[in-house]
Amino acid sequence: MAGAGASALSTDWARVGALFDQALELDATGRERLLAQAAERDPALAGEVRALLRAHDTSGGFLERPAWAVAPELLAEAPDDGPLTGSRVGPYRIQEEIGRGGMGVVYAARDERLGRTVALKVLPRAVSKDAKARERLAREARAAAALSHPGIATVYALEEFDGELYLASELVRGTTLRATLADRRLPSPRVLEILRQLADALDAAHRQGIVHRDLKPENVLLTADGRIKVVDFGIARSLTPASDGPPVLTLTGTALGTPGYMAPEQIRGEAVDARADIFAFGVIAYELAAGEHPFGGSDPASLVERLVADRPPLSRTLDPPALDTIVRRCLRADRGDRFASGVELLDALRAVADDGSVMPPGPLVIRNAWWWKFHQVAVATLTIVNTVTLGVRKAYLGASGSWVFLVVLVLATITTTLRLHLWFVSQVHPASLLALRGRVLRWIVLCEALLVTALLATGIALAGPHDATAAQFVVSSLLLLLSLLVIEPATTRASLS
Amino acid sequence: MAEASGNRPELQALLPDVYAELRRLAAHYLRGERPGQTLQPTALVHEAYLKLQKDRPERWQNRAHFCAIAAHAMRQVLIERARARDALKRGGGAPRVTFDDELPAPAETRDFDMLALDAALERLAALDPGQARIVELRFFGGLSIEETAEAMEISPATVKRHWALARAWLARELQR
Repeated sequence: MAGAGASALSTDWARVGALFDQALELDATGRERLLAQAAERDPALAGEVRALLRAHDTSGGFLERPAWAVAPELLAEAPDDGPLTGSRVGPYRIQEEIGRGGMGVVYAARDERLGRTVALKVLPRAVSKDAKARERLAREARAAAALSHPGIATVYALEEFDGELYLASELVRGTTLRATLADRRLPSPRVLEILRQLADALDAAHRQGIVHRDLKPENVLLTADGRIKVVDFGIARSLTPASDGPPVLTLTGTALGTPGYMAPEQIRGEAVDARADIFAFGVIAYELAAGEHPFGGSDPASLVERLVADRPPLSRTLDPPALDTIVRRCLRADRGDRFASGVELLDALRAVADDGSVMPPGPLVIRNAWWWKFHQVAVATLTIVNTVTLGVRKAYLGASGSWVFLVVLVLATITTTLRLHLWFVSQVHPASLLALRGRVLRWIVLCEALLVTALLATGIALAGPHDATAAQFVVSSLLLLLSLLVIEPATTRASLS
Repeated sequence: MAEASGNRPELQALLPDVYAELRRLAAHYLRGERPGQTLQPTALVHEAYLKLQKDRPERWQNRAHFCAIAAHAMRQVLIERARARDALKRGGGAPRVTFDDELPAPAETRDFDMLALDAALERLAALDPGQARIVELRFFGGLSIEETAEAMEISPATVKRHWALARAWLARELQR
């Protein structure tokens, strides 16, 4: 194919070039005249240039787009992963290819031992050939297999057949968050819902000490029923070679890092913890809410910028504002400034109401509520008993007895009603408990302080002639005082904070 | 073409990073995830340069030097891939169900013969190494006329002239 053209041309390429350039400047008739003149001196040269001009005119966009745009499949494809569809691997019958990514090809496969369909991932050779990488992967797969959460695709097994490694995990049918992002903007309540689910999954894993380390929209699947499933939890990084050091990307290992989602400390190659996931979460949250990447998508320059910027220079303010605050905290460069783990993040997200307002933390923050409830009822009972006693014994106080009783009755009625109302709300609608308590607490404190004063004064006044009643009032008032100052703050802290 | 920069150790150090970035872009491109957004390959090479320069500023003489290496690296990778793929096709085996068949690729993709281009480019290098280098920078490196001129330290007008001729010559070679 090198052909006569090339060898003929090599005799005088410079002359071809000169004539070609000259002709290119001219219009059609000018070219004809020029070529005709040239043909008289050197027909071969003129013929060559004429052919080249024709090629030039008809070549259209030839080579005008860069190679990777013309043949992107050459880059995206991992040629060493042979197709397995229809074949058998150990007990697995491969049904179809369902995905293909940096970490190899994923197939839907039937596990014929257990009669279930799984996602079977063929791991890159770079991993299966490297003893250290294998060991680490085995360790991590074991940890990941212990994760059981509706938001995480369960790892079933790490298998080896004929020297190749395969990872079997829960088969999730759905679209990636990446595809969803490309497809459409989600309404705000849906975004919040997805983020809460994602934070919930992160929380579950972080509690077991497992960090995803490669959280990104490609690793989050949305199922048809609206649930999310995070895949490759805890193992994603290990599937890439050189996962110990900085995320250097290699040719042989087709698995590549995703700089757009890596926390600054991760990019620098430092050890990562849950807060790296929090960072990735922040990027995903921003993308979902704003419809664009917080650092300008595939633009590695902003990545460098991010490495030095303490607070990310975000171009948009997210809606609702409460979410904006949360996302900015996730994206802080210094991991000490981020949420410490999934549970903190989850609490913050749960406090964002769907309409965007921040509502007080709901039912999920009430723990050990029994003591708190008992406290409400006990204090109310004590107040009622003393009020009734005073009503019966008001004659002891002489003429002022009725007035004192009236005052105590009013105070007792207010505080008892409010306390029993709090107890009632904690039973039927815990979500609004904290807000309600915030509104009524000052009245309870005021009434009880006056009540304690009245009972104590009455008790002291009655001491001597009516010791038994006096003792009851003094003890009760001290109990109420103690409860107000010490016991209640303690039970509240334990249950509601 | 065996230009000097291609054999330097920097190339090996750089290749994976540039490759990774380009590969990521290509994947996006394939999945059609960024509709209406044109690829910015020169920006890409530029950013990769910024990033790598931050690590080891002494390693790169300048951006042009970097671009030349990146373009050559890209060519190597693509050709390697194309060869592997070619071998796979000839090797037969199980029917392939990959996204080659599933994803709508631009029409020119299917017909574009990267290996034939590479061979033609070698022949062009025998005629005129400078022109072959321009093609490498433009096509494999994604550089603009101006950037190519900068990298080669010649005028944009010269690049433009050489580019037109090289392109026409290669087009004709591939039609043969």
